[in-house]
Amino acid sequence: MTLPSETGTRHDGPLGVDPALAPHPTVEVNALSVWFGPKVALSEVTCSFGPGITGLLGPNGAGKTTLMRVVVGLLPTGAGTVRVTGKNPRTDRSTHRRLALVPEDEAVPDALTAREFVRYVARLHGVTGPDRPDQALGSVGLTDAADRRLRGFSKGMRQRAKVAAALVTDPQVLVLDEPLNGTDPIQRAALIDLFRRLGAEGRTVVASSHVLHEVEAMASRVIVLVHGRVAAAGDHRAIRDAMADRPRRVLVRAGRPRELAAALVGLDAVAGLWVDGDQLTVGTSRARDLAVALPRLARSVDSRLIEVRPLDDSLESLFRELVR
Amino acid sequence: MTAVISYAVRACLPSRRWTGLVIVFGACLAFGLLAHVPDSGREAAFARVASAGLFGLVLPLATLVIGDGVLGADIRRGTFAYSWLSPVPMLTLVLGRWLGGSATAVTVMAPAFALSAVVAGAPDAAAPAALAATTGAVAYVALFVAIGAVTRRSTLVSLLWVFLFERLLGTALTGIAQLSPTWESRAVFTGLAAVPADLVRRGIPSGWSAVGRLCVMTIVALAVATWRLGRLRLTGPAD
Repeated sequence: MTLPSETGTRHDGPLGVDPALAPHPTVEVNALSVWFGPKVALSEVTCSFGPGITGLLGPNGAGKTTLMRVVVGLLPTGAGTVRVTGKNPRTDRSTHRRLALVPEDEAVPDALTAREFVRYVARLHGVTGPDRPDQALGSVGLTDAADRRLRGFSKGMRQRAKVAAALVTDPQVLVLDEPLNGTDPIQRAALIDLFRRLGAEGRTVVASSHVLHEVEAMASRVIVLVHGRVAAAGDHRAIRDAMADRPRRVLVRAGRPRELAAALVGLDAVAGLWVDGDQLTVGTSRARDLAVALPRLARSVDSRLIEVRPLDDSLESLFRELVR
Repeated sequence: MTAVISYAVRACLPSRRWTGLVIVFGACLAFGLLAHVPDSGREAAFARVASAGLFGLVLPLATLVIGDGVLGADIRRGTFAYSWLSPVPMLTLVLGRWLGGSATAVTVMAPAFALSAVVAGAPDAAAPAALAATTGAVAYVALFVAIGAVTRRSTLVSLLWVFLFERLLGTALTGIAQLSPTWESRAVFTGLAAVPADLVRRGIPSGWSAVGRLCVMTIVALAVATWRLGRLRLTGPAD
């Protein structure tokens, strides 16, 4: 995993391999910088994406959308290089034969029906199979709405139409910018399942989202962008583990909570303790030590552990830590 | 290419813009009726109405609606990304958009201009008017496609082109008029139809020479659009 140091530089993982770099990359981003006038959107970003799903995470304005648009060639690089299957997506239009983007914005050609829209994209890509557009629409559950104009589509339906338009090209590299925006929970689960299948088929899928627990469910490998830089990369739990020197909170529900709290106070790993009924919230900067000691201490005070759960083992908390 | 052309006609020209084109058709007929008002001969009266109203107003505004729709509006909406993100060469995208827009413009303008001449009682002027409308529309659509590729404020820039550059400066300066589809299409008409001498503008090509000039303008505009699209920064509709 890679984490930011106080000076903003990066540390290699234990084996000296930068986890921002995928082992068999199809998309390679090298020392990429992009700026809009005086605003630096991306600064010396180096990372790569290979087969499977990679989550691209970061708070608003971190540069996720800019990175995705540069990767597909919609934006030029200010400095550095981007290669997709070894080609420059900005200048080599053949790259787009197997490269697709689902953009974040809702913009779709309103005057067309969903089927016409997907057919148009298919024809541009030289997709010949007459059933392919219908298959793509079916894969996102839009078969029944295929002949309705996109103008009347809800946000979630537009999102799925865009995904269908991307899938109809049979992409080797699929870039999804907030692909679950506006979808209801059932559609969301279906799309996550679809993206997982695509990743499992060996396609390179890069997905960003604001709904972070969904990305956790979707992608094990994440790249975290903060202020236009790669702030962290790797498995999100590994990143969290690597941040062991940063405080985290653990919820403990147990019998005899006050006795257990008294026992925990003496533990070096405990930095803070709050008792609320049968719940203890334990602040620690050494979660592993706490995990080892907790059952032993509970036994010693005859307390039965009901639940032990980290309160901030989510990517939201990771962002909070990284942007602090 | 056919996919791009049909997209230009179906997706880029939604029903609202088609409504505008119906109004344009009606305006042409109204200008034809207006030619009955002056006491001069029908041909001369129509020539004056056509020069000022049809070529000076209807042609640029109608083609602006179409030319901006087939590219500039698509870029502003953020939907051009679906076309850009394809292996189709940029030249094909530009030509397809231009052909779709031109076909629409010519389908509306050429019959409308010819009908206007007939309504005005100058049927001999119908063919020159239709030819001038066709060549002017084709050049204008190319011009507005190029403006759409160059700037996101394509509607404003196109209006400035028509009213400031062509109408104001073009009236005063012959050099500007030579770069103006309004003046050149008008010159096609005045060169091929029987018109009063004072309507023939000196110093710019007329008749078939003006057709050639409009063709050159079209090619240059399409080349600019193609060059520019390859360098476009597609940041999405929100930016």
